[in-house]
Amino acid sequence: MIAGSRQTRAFLLFLTPSLVFLTVLFAYPVGKVLLVSVTDPELGLQNYRLLIENAALRRVFLTTVRIAGLTTLIAVAVGYVLAYRMHTAGERELRLIIFCLMFPLWTSVLVRAFSWVTLLQSNGIVNGILIGTGLTERPIQLVRNEIGVLIGMVHVMIPYATLPIYAVMKGIDARLPQAARSLGASSLQTFVRIFFPLTLPGIGAAMILVFITSIGFYVTPIVLGGGKVVMIAEYISVQITETLRWGLGAMLATVLLAIVLLFVFAFRRLTVLREQGA
Amino acid sequence: MDRFRYLNDWEEEILAFKRATDGRCVSRRAFCAGLAALGLSPLVATMQPVDAKEPDIVLVNWGGDSVKAMDQAYVQPFLEANPGEGIKIDSSGATSGKIKAMVEAGRVVWDMCDRAFHASLQLGREGLLEEIDYSVVDKSKVLPGFAGRWGVANYCFANVLTYDTRAFGGRKPESWADFWNIKDFPGRRTLRRHIDSTLEVALLADGVPIDKIYPIDVKRAFDKVKQIKDHVTFWSSHADSYKLLRDGEVTMGCLAHTRSVTLRRDTNGAIDFTFNQGIFWVSGWIVPKGNPAGKRVWKMIASTQDPAGQIELLKLMGNGPVNPAANALITPDLAAINPSSPENLKRMVVADMEWYAANSNTVLNQFIDNVLS
Repeated sequence: MIAGSRQTRAFLLFLTPSLVFLTVLFAYPVGKVLLVSVTDPELGLQNYRLLIENAALRRVFLTTVRIAGLTTLIAVAVGYVLAYRMHTAGERELRLIIFCLMFPLWTSVLVRAFSWVTLLQSNGIVNGILIGTGLTERPIQLVRNEIGVLIGMVHVMIPYATLPIYAVMKGIDARLPQAARSLGASSLQTFVRIFFPLTLPGIGAAMILVFITSIGFYVTPIVLGGGKVVMIAEYISVQITETLRWGLGAMLATVLLAIVLLFVFAFRRLTVLREQGA
Repeated sequence: MDRFRYLNDWEEEILAFKRATDGRCVSRRAFCAGLAALGLSPLVATMQPVDAKEPDIVLVNWGGDSVKAMDQAYVQPFLEANPGEGIKIDSSGATSGKIKAMVEAGRVVWDMCDRAFHASLQLGREGLLEEIDYSVVDKSKVLPGFAGRWGVANYCFANVLTYDTRAFGGRKPESWADFWNIKDFPGRRTLRRHIDSTLEVALLADGVPIDKIYPIDVKRAFDKVKQIKDHVTFWSSHADSYKLLRDGEVTMGCLAHTRSVTLRRDTNGAIDFTFNQGIFWVSGWIVPKGNPAGKRVWKMIASTQDPAGQIELLKLMGNGPVNPAANALITPDLAAINPSSPENLKRMVVADMEWYAANSNTVLNQFIDNVLS
């Protein structure tokens, strides 16, 4: 008991610097931002009312949620296949996949966005191949539009989608699929009825992680969207740095934060319930 | 040479985004602010050199080539004339947001900032700027209309019709009406992702005479932009506008003339531009209220009015002089690329600073709401 409380005390002691750090440099400024959303230009909820009254704001939110949602679906689907390959791969192949997966993570998002422009533009490599192989006669507009934004964002998000799924796959008891096979299930049945359901927590984690990251994307949509894909992060930045509508910007930031927190909370509820259930 | 220019552009691009994504890289200033918040600044203060003199004058610009160019054109001549002075160039870009935050928090670290001239009216009216001291700065050394209460011109540029000469079978577009004419001048277009110049060229294309642009008929301009929106890629950085034309992604664009000059040089004339119906802009010095170097800044600003320095900047950057006396001193080939040379200026629309000061915030939001999204 005494040892326990001493441990707790030591634990708290170690935690203090980071808590102070977070409070001073994170919680306090974020709190101030929340405050601005109800005090600028005057005290009240007028900024939040704009969310209901202003159709353009809703459109920006809808665009953001749609693009983040599509990115999540595609990235998690690709990530699942990749994770499955990693799960079944030999050690050398696994190392190669992990390297290929992690390497883009160390490259700046901006550099990656411009690389995609170079690859996907009308006289770029991808269109060259498409035309050369006779798949299309004229170049397809693959970038400077929403398709370009999706390609760029999915690319950034794939590692975030793959790793949680892979972690869950690694934890699955290898004897379970074996048992299914020995009881006469086909490999497809084994996958659909045994393996896949066991990986659902990984899919959930990947989806939440990818979605809450995608919803705040800034650089990629600007570079790859050709100026016509306005996501919420950029809209906020215009309000803060250019038009000086800090109240509006802070309100949008607050709503964005609320959406993210909601998803994190929902996700935690889900995992807690499942752990209790198990 | 071309290659270097290109690399510099990328560098500028990366700097621009570093600015925009402040949180991702901690600047020394942010770090110090953090220390201050933690109450650790006395520690840092004791680390200052003992013989610290008056603080350096901090000049803020937009990075890229302009750091070296302004150093050569403005800073070095000033330091030679005033040996006791010190100047630092901060290339992080003085956005309205940062100036407001600094002044309101009472922690101003900038002395003179390079900003679009109309920002001086907007920020000045909000009480965020010092009034220009015209007992030191010389009003007569500025283009008429650009020696303002809170801002004084430092250079000029233009947004001009730029096109790929190979794209139209020998025909040359000469006006914004041609720009809107996709049938006779096929191909994609690029416009700035902003209202500055985009609204003006839309109205010119719609037949509004060059002297009747202001006050801008916003709805008419928006409708005109929407007409060709599907053919337009909007550029957000100058480097991007250069790349779109250089890579053949678009056949025509509205670009800053500095980039058009570079494009013409880098493509041996395959890409060309005209000052005809261009939009003429002036950039100015503004001084945030309570600037650390105090009154010393006026001497520096006055020194940038010297025609020699302004011509040097034109050579290095393509940004034109705003001291009319410079015109007598520049060579014909420099005059040809200089927006403020009389023969170029008379063909252009001079952007109306009062209109922008009064309307740009509202109309920019409307533009994002109605045209871009």
